[in-house]
Amino acid sequence: MPTRRELVAGLAAIVGEKNVLWRPEDLIVYEFDGTVETQRPHAVVFPDGAGEVASVVRLCNQWKMPVTPRGAGTGLSGGSVPHRRGVVVATARMRRILEIDPVNRIAVVEPGVPNIQLSEAVAQHGLFYAPDPSSQKACTIGGNVAENAGGPHCLALGVTTNHVLGMEVVTAGGEVVWLGGRVAETPGYDLRGAFIGSEGTLGIVTKVVARLMPMPETVATLLAIFETVEEASLAVSSIIAAGMIPAAMEMMDRLTLQAAEAGLQCGYPPDAGAVLLVELDGIAEEVESQVARARAECLEHGATEIRLAIDAEERELLWKGRKGAIGSLGRIMPNYYILDGVVPRSKLVEVMAKVNAISARYDLPVANVFHAGDGNLHPLLLFDDRVPGAHAKVLEAGAAMMRACIDAGGALSGEHGIGFEKQQFMPWLYSEADLENMARLRPVFGNQGDFNPCKLLPGGTGCGEMAQQASAVRAAGPDAYV
Amino acid sequence: MEDLSKCVHCGLCVNACPTYAITGLEVESPRGRIHLARSIEEGRIPLTPAVQTHWELCLQCRACEAVCPSGVPYGRIMEHARAQLDAGAPAGRSGRRLRKLLLRQVVARPRVLSGVLAPVRLYANSPVRGLVRRTGLLRLLGRMGMAEMQLPKCIGTPVRPGKGLAKPESAATTAILFTGCVMGELFGEVHRATARVLARSGVTAEATAGQGCCGALHAHDGDIDFARTLARKNIDALGGGDEPIVVNSAGCGAAMKEYGELLSGDATYRDTAKAFAARVQDVTEFLAQLAPLPGGVFPHRVAYQDACHLAHAQRIRTQPRALLGALQGCELVETAGADMCCGAAGIYSIVQPAMSEALRARKAEQFARHRPDVIATANPGCQMQYNAATREAGIPARVMHVVEVIDEAQRAAGL
Repeated sequence: MPTRRELVAGLAAIVGEKNVLWRPEDLIVYEFDGTVETQRPHAVVFPDGAGEVASVVRLCNQWKMPVTPRGAGTGLSGGSVPHRRGVVVATARMRRILEIDPVNRIAVVEPGVPNIQLSEAVAQHGLFYAPDPSSQKACTIGGNVAENAGGPHCLALGVTTNHVLGMEVVTAGGEVVWLGGRVAETPGYDLRGAFIGSEGTLGIVTKVVARLMPMPETVATLLAIFETVEEASLAVSSIIAAGMIPAAMEMMDRLTLQAAEAGLQCGYPPDAGAVLLVELDGIAEEVESQVARARAECLEHGATEIRLAIDAEERELLWKGRKGAIGSLGRIMPNYYILDGVVPRSKLVEVMAKVNAISARYDLPVANVFHAGDGNLHPLLLFDDRVPGAHAKVLEAGAAMMRACIDAGGALSGEHGIGFEKQQFMPWLYSEADLENMARLRPVFGNQGDFNPCKLLPGGTGCGEMAQQASAVRAAGPDAYV
Repeated sequence: MEDLSKCVHCGLCVNACPTYAITGLEVESPRGRIHLARSIEEGRIPLTPAVQTHWELCLQCRACEAVCPSGVPYGRIMEHARAQLDAGAPAGRSGRRLRKLLLRQVVARPRVLSGVLAPVRLYANSPVRGLVRRTGLLRLLGRMGMAEMQLPKCIGTPVRPGKGLAKPESAATTAILFTGCVMGELFGEVHRATARVLARSGVTAEATAGQGCCGALHAHDGDIDFARTLARKNIDALGGGDEPIVVNSAGCGAAMKEYGELLSGDATYRDTAKAFAARVQDVTEFLAQLAPLPGGVFPHRVAYQDACHLAHAQRIRTQPRALLGALQGCELVETAGADMCCGAAGIYSIVQPAMSEALRARKAEQFARHRPDVIATANPGCQMQYNAATREAGIPARVMHVVEVIDEAQRAAGL
């Protein structure tokens, strides 16, 4: 290991002195992302271009210094938290839109471009970039690639992996390579697919070829108000069963509605039990008939009121509440722990009941806001980190909820990634042999164990709070939930 | 501390922040600055010169506050962070002391301020100015030269408290016009335009005597005690009645709408401050309620630029656009980043010239691209910054306050 002086000098020689941070008070703001886990890096470096990134990675490898890539730090699984300290490689200087090709409907962008800026830049051509995480005003395309990010509008159109055709990456070993290309299908092994969603454990993306979609001719958004989450869940299942694929189908429960309405004044009914936000798009006639059918399904399952937003302004208001819902929970409690489980749609009601029971058992309020259409749950446990023991209790309750998802035949993550916090749960889903096979991909990309360590797969060495995490899981165990 | 714990570091604010947009650094973002404050509060790091630099680079534009879903009161947090610097800054103490002295003894004292600004006005209106600009003397003057670029083409006579203004033919109601400090001295024309526009809608504007500086600049700099003193003075002078208090400077309006909060710990003033704050209205907010106005013709392309303390602090965005849009022939041009800070930010352009210029350049680039005839805004600092930005963009656009546009349009319509 180098001394700090050597480390900073080495990095500065590559990127210039002003693009390296090393003072404790500068590093402290790079200790977190959107989650509750924190760890301060030894240095933060801002390279520009694949060449500089590769030099930084090679230098760190030479010193066996852990490397953690970082976009905007809005992640929800601790993916950009440097758990074993070392060097954080931030993409903030690489935020140019390099090319927009409206004919072939692609754009080439650098990883630090915020998600929404890509859609804004191509809007003049009647195009948009489909994956729209709730944090899209801040989160970066590079981070989206790392986490295979989703969003409300991924129900019909698919997640990041369906919208990135190719990319230039610097592998964990420090090589610059292209994966995929500028067209939809490339022959050979799909290494592009392997890289997307690898949570920054295989390398750092430095250029992205994004697929652009034409904007739909007509868009209508329904807000259906229900007395209970159960009724709303049943409506979701029957809308899909009726053969419709809405552009988005989102649910929010009472606690979430109250927080969102208080924070964002978007016209939500704060005393409703649940609301469903259903967006339908396509050609005008088709949308009209789908609206009628969706409305009928909702009423059938007990909707007390249905509002229809047609113009852009009304729709934006409804979505503003949904997109800011998670952040607005800060009004209720200072901290939240957001989970990201997936269950088959038919099990929504059953799992939601278990989630509520766990919340009651641990005496932790839970708010639910989720992508109901694809069964992607986001229970948010609300707590105050300053209360002794709260942190551990939340991790335990969270583990129990994840267990409930798995037992219903679901998965550990819909879009936020496994990151640090959920790697210990991976054995619930995969056998030892499965995990070993996945781990074999790392050395292929040059990761000898120091590239974004403690993420995605269990068993990393030297990961600080691992013991605490493991004990929480053991405590929750397979039979710990109701 | 309660304020700080509201931040859940979700990061939705970072791209709304002008200094983050320029630097891409978390330490120059709202989330980063809050985390620094919290870490200091928890004793994890000391208040170092680096922290001071990060806090001082904040424009206090409050764009982050407007997009924050958790309702973090960032403006208040930053004022208290600056107050910590006021108590013991780790670096540049003499500079801070001088600034505090100037804000207290010059800006807040009408007579001293008018004495200081009189030669400025004289210069701006004199033929010498053209000569100075042509000879390139400005470049030699550095910061002073930049300040010169910000001055309006022509500065009218000041409007001070107690002075008579245009009156309607038959008065239905009365409103108090808040005259401010620099606003009254350098932008008397905006006050006169405000009075004329109000008069045409049957409202008498009274520049009631006894009022003074609003204290916004002092609070932003962390001199909260003195801001309270100034607030009490204004409440004493204007607090008696129930007429609306109309403000045409967004920064002052935002500060005065928060007098209730500012004086919440003052048992004597608490209630009157709250009542006072409820009466404060921005001039565009007030006019939008009077609308439709008696008409107006303005056949020009107008780029409206949100003043931060109007859009973000007071959340007023639609009213000024609607007022301008209602003028016959007026074509509104929406430029990218219209609601992002121009870098004027009170005294910011003087104390942080580099960042201020970087932000102004973004505006200038948009102006050069869209080439509007008029740039309209609602705050004196922004107006001054746009004077410089139009020169930088090399376009002949006029910079006007929204009420000046309305006034000119109404005159053109023969009103």
